[in-house]
Amino acid sequence: MKVFHYINFGIIFLFLVAICVIEDVVVNNSLTQTQYDCFQIERQLERDETLNSMQMALLVDNLEYHWDNNESSLCYLVNHKSIQEIGMEISKIKSYVANNDVEALKVSIETIKYCCHSYLHFMGASVHNIL
Amino acid sequence: MLTIVARSIIIYIIVLLVFRLMGKRQIGQMQPFELVLTLIIADLATIPMAEVSVPVLHGVIPLLTLSIVHFVLTLLTKKSTIFSRVISGKPVIIINPHGLDYKAMKQLNLTIDDIMAALRNCGYFSISQVQYAIMETSGKVSVLPKAEYSPATNGALELDEQESFVPITLINEGKLMEDNVKFARLDKDKVIEIINQQGAKRIKDVLILTIDKAGEAYIQPIGSEGKSFKTKSLVVEA
Repeated sequence: MKVFHYINFGIIFLFLVAICVIEDVVVNNSLTQTQYDCFQIERQLERDETLNSMQMALLVDNLEYHWDNNESSLCYLVNHKSIQEIGMEISKIKSYVANNDVEALKVSIETIKYCCHSYLHFMGASVHNIL
Repeated sequence: MLTIVARSIIIYIIVLLVFRLMGKRQIGQMQPFELVLTLIIADLATIPMAEVSVPVLHGVIPLLTLSIVHFVLTLLTKKSTIFSRVISGKPVIIINPHGLDYKAMKQLNLTIDDIMAALRNCGYFSISQVQYAIMETSGKVSVLPKAEYSPATNGALELDEQESFVPITLINEGKLMEDNVKFARLDKDKVIEIINQQGAKRIKDVLILTIDKAGEAYIQPIGSEGKSFKTKSLVVEA
């Protein structure tokens, strides 16, 4: 019985470690990918400020596609409310591109980058976060 | 709504498992750290149940972490007396042969009313009946009465009483308890023979049949009165 107890708690301990590692990897990868997609859109804006180009449409589609894929796995690990703003900003970007509203798009991109950065900072294991 | 139902079931199962892993102690027997753990678990479990935006893992991970903490604390309290004293405290004598220990009462924040209530729970209505009263680490009070108020025992009365044994349930609500029958070194046919001798025809007609090492048995057929009887040739290893 005692051995069974040790095994049980050993399994729970390993499960906790695995979840912590998985969370770190999944959240980091997802948010870094989103940040990268935002940088790509910004770079494209620096080259060409018109939004109704093929290149820009592809980049925005990329951002949306990656976020949709990542969001489903993030929902298992993080509070939906903490990440829903990113999804909302991406949907706004689609309409800004259609209306060729460059300034609004820049604001949305900045908001997404800020959300990703703050969440990455907020979820990392540090004394600040623990206390 | 379906999400909340599913989440509630998942959390319930996990909380149940965590409590099973914690052991079988009841609320009143809990050490302080176990009580704290129970209170936190009760609060934690409700968050992912009610809040759909919070992942179930946010409720499960703290529960499992606390079960690990509990396991480690239990292990340390078993291994180290000093640690055990720090975490659980130590039993304190609140009544000694000279009367109430006022210093201990102050230390434990106890009032006379609390002590009197605890004594009454133990069956003693006056401090004069008590030789020692000890406040256990779980918060319960154990009482050693004065000699004149101690209950008479067979030993003290020098009575030659036979040892009593724990009865084994062979039939429970018309169902044969296979494991118990094996434990009693009997078989189904023998059980049927016993119930037939007592007037019941089939196993499913019997509400309860118990038997102990000394052969003392009790049977109650469904819809009839129960009766005790003696069987022989039943030797079980308890």
